[in-house]
Amino acid sequence: RVDAALVSRHKELQREVCDLTEAEEQLDELISKCNLQLRLLTEEPHNKKLGYVRCQDLKKSFDSPDQLVMVIRAPPETQMQVSEPSKGYQVSLKSTRGPIDVFLCPEDSSGVC
Amino acid sequence: IGLPTNSAQECQNLEVERQRRLERIKQKQSQLQELILQQIAFKNLVQRNRQTEQQANRSPPPNSIIHLPFIIVNTSKKTVIDCSISNDKFEYLFNFDSMFEIHDDIEVLKRMGMACGLEVGKCSPEDLKVARSLVPKALEPYVIEMAKGPISNVYITGSSSANG
Repeated sequence: RVDAALVSRHKELQREVCDLTEAEEQLDELISKCNLQLRLLTEEPHNKKLGYVRCQDLKKSFDSPDQLVMVIRAPPETQMQVSEPSKGYQVSLKSTRGPIDVFLCPEDSSGVC
Repeated sequence: IGLPTNSAQECQNLEVERQRRLERIKQKQSQLQELILQQIAFKNLVQRNRQTEQQANRSPPPNSIIHLPFIIVNTSKKTVIDCSISNDKFEYLFNFDSMFEIHDDIEVLKRMGMACGLEVGKCSPEDLKVARSLVPKALEPYVIEMAKGPISNVYITGSSSANG
């Protein structure tokens, strides 16, 4: 006694899993392509030169007059550790490949960081 | 196909497998979306800066700009920050006496509108046109989907729908 409904359910599920597998493979491929594109894009010398924000952009992005904005520029692979809020508000930075730059976004309108 | 009991068990296994894959696809979709946003935001930024420099006919003073990549830490002006730095500037330790926020540069670019509003699914037809022009054809269906609003469900772009 074979349950016809169960058999057709089984078939349907098999097809769905198959479709999902294909969809996931497609996604994997797109993601790795996208990663590569982004890397090439940001490493291209001209783009690298033009890949900057102005101090006034930063100020506008955090436009509460009450906010202090600190900029951190660190070499790749720098480790950042943030303490648990219950243990105080602490941030540590550790670089192995060069010095870290930290500066404040200027208060005045000179636009100079 | 074997006995009904086996089929029932198999169905259950497949159901679990299906659910697992759906979850993974969802996660990968948001990963892909973030990559698309980054690509659009970066291209927009470069374009804007190039135009501004062409108009001004010069590069901005080096001390008025911050190159990517960077991280922002913001806090109230009232917050007292205690900072220790190693001599070689390889190590920093900050103590804040109040809450702070950490944002990456992409977040800043989003706030600057460089992601065409796609990050919140608020995209004018004009924005969408710009966004679509900044990605390869294969990614356009995703951009169009993102422009409609935050995505909550899994969607699959079939080969037939990618005719843009």
